[in-house]
Amino acid sequence: MMASLWQYVLAGLVSGAIYALVAAGFVLIYQVTGIINFAQGEYVMIGAMTAASLASAGMAPVEAGALGIVAAAVVGGLSYLLAIRPARSRGATGVTLIFITLGLDVALRGLGLIIWGTNPLSLSAFSGGSSISIFGGVIQPQALWVLGADMVVFALLYIFFQRTYAGTAVRAAVASPAIASTFGIPLRTFAFWSFVAAAAIGGLGGVVIAPITSATYDMGLTFGLAGFVAAVLGGLESLPGALVGGFVLGIAEKVSGGLVSTGWEQGVGFIILVLVLLLRPQGLLGRAVRQA
Amino acid sequence: MPRSAASYAIGGFILFAVIAIAVWFIPPYYTGLITLVGIYALVTIGLNLFMGYAGQVSLGQAAFVGVGAYTSAVITVKLQWSPWLGLIAGGIVAALVAYGLSFVVLRLRENLLALATLALGIVINVVFNEWDFLGGSSGFSGIPSFALGHFTFDLRAHAILSWFLVALGLAFAGQLVRSNFGRSLIAISAGELGAASVGIDAQRLKRQTFVLSAVYAGLAGGVYASYQTYIDPSSFGFLLSVTFVLMSVIGGIRSLWGAPIGAAIVVALTQVLQAVVPIVIPSARGDFQSFFLGVILIAMLVFLPKGLVSRFGEARA
Repeated sequence: MMASLWQYVLAGLVSGAIYALVAAGFVLIYQVTGIINFAQGEYVMIGAMTAASLASAGMAPVEAGALGIVAAAVVGGLSYLLAIRPARSRGATGVTLIFITLGLDVALRGLGLIIWGTNPLSLSAFSGGSSISIFGGVIQPQALWVLGADMVVFALLYIFFQRTYAGTAVRAAVASPAIASTFGIPLRTFAFWSFVAAAAIGGLGGVVIAPITSATYDMGLTFGLAGFVAAVLGGLESLPGALVGGFVLGIAEKVSGGLVSTGWEQGVGFIILVLVLLLRPQGLLGRAVRQA
Repeated sequence: MPRSAASYAIGGFILFAVIAIAVWFIPPYYTGLITLVGIYALVTIGLNLFMGYAGQVSLGQAAFVGVGAYTSAVITVKLQWSPWLGLIAGGIVAALVAYGLSFVVLRLRENLLALATLALGIVINVVFNEWDFLGGSSGFSGIPSFALGHFTFDLRAHAILSWFLVALGLAFAGQLVRSNFGRSLIAISAGELGAASVGIDAQRLKRQTFVLSAVYAGLAGGVYASYQTYIDPSSFGFLLSVTFVLMSVIGGIRSLWGAPIGAAIVVALTQVLQAVVPIVIPSARGDFQSFFLGVILIAMLVFLPKGLVSRFGEARA
C-alpha cells in the first residue's frame, strides 16, 4: 500500500513538472498582458508533435526537440500578432479576449489534426538506460529530463526577472503599466515576447513528455486545463506558485487516480480549482488577485 | 431600431410555421440538421441572456445540456416513464444544478468566472463518465422518442418540436429583455456597482439568469436525448461548450435572433467544411473543421464583435 502510494507520488511528480511548465506560461502571459491564454496547452502539442514527426522522419531526438520548441515559439508569436494584437488595438477587453484565446485553442488543435492526423506519434527517449529506483519506487530515465527541464526553465526565469535589466523593466510594466510606458518601456513588445516565451516553455514541456506519453493532436487540452489549475493554485501571478501548483496538482491527480479510479484524475484537479477560486483566490502562495 | 417584445414572439412563430411546412418538402438528412440547429439555438438563446445581456461568461453550458439529456434518459430508460416527463424533468434538474452551482461560481467575474464554469463543466462530465448509474462511458441507448397518443415522433416531428421550443424560447426571452428585468441585466453588464447604486440586486438577477440559461440548455438536452435515442459523456464535452460560445458570438452575443442564426451558420459551415476540405486536403479527417471555426471565432471578435445581427439593426439596449 505505502509502496504503491510512493509510486503514485513519483508519477505525479513527472506529470506535475509538465503542468508547472504550462502554468509558468500562463503566469508569464497573464502578468504581462492580463490575458488568460486558453490556447496555452496547444503549444505543448505543437512542440511534441513537431518533434515526434521530425524524429520519425529520421532526425536525432534532441535536434527534433529543439525544432519542436522553435515551432511552438513561432506559433506563440503568431498567436499574438494575428489574434491578440489586432483585437486589442480595436479595443477588445475582458470576455472578448477570453473568447479569442478559446478560438486560438480550437484553431490550433484543428491545425494539429490537419497536419498530423489522429494517430499518436512516438518519440524515443533522449537517453537510454533502464528504469531508476528511488526508495523502492521506479521512474524512467526520461523523467529526469522532464524534471531537469523544469529546473532549467524556472532558474532561467528567476535570473531573467531578478538579475537582468529587461526583467526589471517587465516587472515595472506589470506593477504599473501607465507609468512604465511613460518611461519608454515598450508594453506591446513585452506582450509579444511573453507569448513567444510562454509558447517556447510549453513546447519544451511537450518535447520532454512526448517519449513518456506519446504525442497526439488533442493532447493540448489536457495539459492546458491542468496548467490552468496549477496556475490558479499558485495564484496566477507567481512563478514559484506555478511550480508548486504544478507539483501539487500532479501528485493529487495520480494519488487520487491510483486510489479511486483513473477517470477521476481530471475531476480532482477541477474540484481543487473550484475550491481554490472560492476559498483562496490569491492561490496557495500568492497575494491579492487582480480582478480585471 | 429596438424590437418590441411582441416581435420576438411573432417572428419566432412565423419561423416555426415556415419550418413546420418546409420539413415536408426537404430530404430527411436536412430535416435532421434543422432539428440539431433548433436544439443548439435553444441553448444559445439562454446563453445569450446570461453572457450577452447580463455580461457574464459560461464555458460549461454543454454540461447543462448533458444534465437535461441524462435526466431524460434516466426517466425514460430506467423508470420507463414518458419522454415528455423526461423533457420537463430535464429542464428542472438542470435548473436545480445551476441554482446550486450559482452560489459557487457567480461570486467570480470575467477571467475567474470563465475558469470556474469551464472547470464545473468538466467535473460534471467526469461524473457522467464515472457514475455507473448513468451508464459510465457508454451512456444510455434505446431512449424512446416522443409520442402523442398513438403517434410516435418521426424525424419531421422532432424538427417541429425543437423549433416549437425555439419559438417559445424566443417569445419568453423577448418579453424578458424588453422588461425591467432585461434592462437591469444590461445595467449589471455595464458595472455591478453602478447597478447596485440604482437598487438592482445584481447577485439575485445574475443567479436567476444563470438558472434560466440552464433551463434552456436542459430542455434542449431532453429533446436531444429522445431525438438521438442514445447519449454518452463525450456528447457534452468542453468542445460543445466552445461551440455554443461560437454560435453566440457569430450571431451576436447581445441579441436573441442571433442565436438561431449563429446555430444555423455553425451547423451549415461544419457540413460544408466536412464536404469540401477533404477534396483539397485529402489527409483531413475527424473534427478538423475546428481549425476553421476557431479562425472564424477570432475574426468575428476582431472585426465584428457585436455579431452578424448587429448588421441588421437588432437593438443594443
